[in-house]
Amino acid sequence: MALLSQNKPTTFFEKLNDETWRRKFLRNVLIPWIFISPLLIIHLYVVAIPAVQGIYMSLTDWKGVGMNVNFVGLENYRELFFEDETFGKALRNNITWMIFFLTVPFILALFCATMLSQVRRGGMLYRSILFVPYVLASVVTATIWKNLLNPQRGIGAAADNILGLDGVFGIAYLGRTETALMSIAFIDNWQFWGFLMILFLAAMQSIPPVLYDAAKIDGANRWQEFRHVTLPGIRPILVFMFMMVAIFSFLAFDYIFLLTQGGPGGASEVIATQLYKNAFFRFQAGYGAAQGVVISIFAGFIILIFVTVKRRGWDI
Amino acid sequence: MKSVKLLFAIAVLVLALAPVGAQDVTTVSMWFSEGSTLDCWGPIMLEFNEVDPSVQLEIVPQADTWNVTRTAVAGGGGPDIVRTPGPSFVYEMAQAGLILPMDTFAESMGWGDFFFDWALDLGLVDGQLYSLSDELETLVMYYNVEVFEANGWTPPDTMDELNALAEEVEAAGLTVFSHGNASWRPTNEHFVGEYWTQVAGPHKVYQALSGEIPWTDESLVGAIELLDAHMQAGWYGGGVDLYFTNDGVYRRTSLAEGSAAMNIEGSWAIRGTVDYFGESGMTWDWVPVPSHDGTDYYTIGMGNTSSINANSPHPEAAAQFLTWYFSPATQGKMLTSCLKGPAPVAIGADVMAELDPRIARLYAELSDASANDRYGYTTWTFWPPKSDVYIYEEVERVWTGEITAMEYSAGLQELFAEELAAGDIPPIPTR
Repeated sequence: MALLSQNKPTTFFEKLNDETWRRKFLRNVLIPWIFISPLLIIHLYVVAIPAVQGIYMSLTDWKGVGMNVNFVGLENYRELFFEDETFGKALRNNITWMIFFLTVPFILALFCATMLSQVRRGGMLYRSILFVPYVLASVVTATIWKNLLNPQRGIGAAADNILGLDGVFGIAYLGRTETALMSIAFIDNWQFWGFLMILFLAAMQSIPPVLYDAAKIDGANRWQEFRHVTLPGIRPILVFMFMMVAIFSFLAFDYIFLLTQGGPGGASEVIATQLYKNAFFRFQAGYGAAQGVVISIFAGFIILIFVTVKRRGWDI
Repeated sequence: MKSVKLLFAIAVLVLALAPVGAQDVTTVSMWFSEGSTLDCWGPIMLEFNEVDPSVQLEIVPQADTWNVTRTAVAGGGGPDIVRTPGPSFVYEMAQAGLILPMDTFAESMGWGDFFFDWALDLGLVDGQLYSLSDELETLVMYYNVEVFEANGWTPPDTMDELNALAEEVEAAGLTVFSHGNASWRPTNEHFVGEYWTQVAGPHKVYQALSGEIPWTDESLVGAIELLDAHMQAGWYGGGVDLYFTNDGVYRRTSLAEGSAAMNIEGSWAIRGTVDYFGESGMTWDWVPVPSHDGTDYYTIGMGNTSSINANSPHPEAAAQFLTWYFSPATQGKMLTSCLKGPAPVAIGADVMAELDPRIARLYAELSDASANDRYGYTTWTFWPPKSDVYIYEEVERVWTGEITAMEYSAGLQELFAEELAAGDIPPIPTR
């Protein structure tokens, strides 16, 4: 063994003289890196460097214009967690938003995907109808629903007219502190859940039918089939979407900004809308960057939970 | 012989084209929001290109002009003419060295000859002129003439008269003010600023802006309490929750069609008011917003400002355009053709005579008020950015019952004191 190992090149330069090693190195290392380098350079330029800059800016009092930047250490974070009451409120709204989106669209999507997976004729039509809202731009959906929820000319007012009621359904859903956030979540969900359903449906269709046959032979009812065959069969996509939705919940911005801009009285304010206002209206870009970093930390924490669970042997 | 002829022809052609090729054309760029405003303003602004063929204006339409502009300017690019939403934005850009001081242009091009003195002062940052204010604005109370006549009402002069009238309006089944903030949430600040001025008085506001008295002063807090009381009474749009969902279309149609009696809104709303009343066939008019003692106070504001980009390769040409654009002749034409709020420049009486008498009266009254110490301050022009955002965002918490007027004012005082100490306050005309 010792003799053989003596003949083997050990240093990088010795290896370079070895024709076989050179070819292997070229094929397995150099060429892949050459191919990936354009993407890597772009990624570094548009993601990694701005991310590092963002972290740095969060430690400054940068106003968002010019280059007058003063290092303030963790001052922005201290203010965020210990002084800014509105941040706590926004964080609570984000958590409420996450709970809503981890339940309502998942239940809806699972239920409808299960139903649709059993439809043999015309299934494509149903799928298309339920998926259509997802392809609408959020600004279009927001405008449609803003009008539909209008207390004077919306569907609530129409229902009141038909039923001879006054102000029972025709209320200012987006104008009340107790209903604003959930109304926006409802609208966002109206657009989103169809996408989730299509993903679940595709996953369900990849489950081998013999598993259902076996379950039937064992005397399983519909619920037991769903619980013991369907859910385990779609678990990877289900868990992945759980993770993605949890992360997206901290990035919620568009519908809230389009419909209420965080109002009334901050009732629908979330971290991302606060961040935008701080950076662009209040000239507190450094403080806004700190909020952005906090959102990223939350997202990282969610990913960490899923990675930990996977490492502990969960099949996800 | 043929080649001689050919050379001669080429020489003639070169000589003929030479003056054109040698003429340097400088292009001054300006970014402007897309939409109906540009449709009307654009052709008039492009008339500048006929004044001096060597300087040409290029208008680039943008979807989100201000955010695009400040990003580009901060990155060393952007248009030659930098338009901002107000003096507080100018302050930040000037501090960052992104726009040029224009004192030499002001002197050489005679801007002081046609701008009101106080208006040029609004563009000062650390004693240097960085911006020219545009679109002089104020808030007035529009009302539906037919509704008032049918009910035998007269427009109120004082807050007490407004109180009495509001009861009658509500008894008649109408909304007092056709209002809502669903289209533009900062609408809230219009009322805060008006109530401070009309209830506490502009001198108190000036004292608070100068740091002489706090925003928790009894008179200023009282103004916020009165606004809240009016809001809770459903005067604005029919109720607090409805106010948050009423949009711009509601605001205009309900007044123009007579389901609301009045509307406190800016002079910028004249164009929309004219259009909507034109469709409904009813008549509009305006009076000053009622004050505590019946004095006609007008809050003064600026819709936007113009500056010269520090990276502009030809600031002189940009200044040349600004001189033309802010001239009383151009401003007069834009006022008569587009009902654009004029820049604070001396527009001739002949131009005003062409206007609808109601509109002409508004600008005449505003001019008179500014000359006779009856002017107040709009929040978006004279307040620093953090305080300004606080004013329109946090007042909703007063209206939704989450905090009191005093707590709101104390929060503002804390923030304002911070910005005052940092020197972030835009220039305030002294009284």
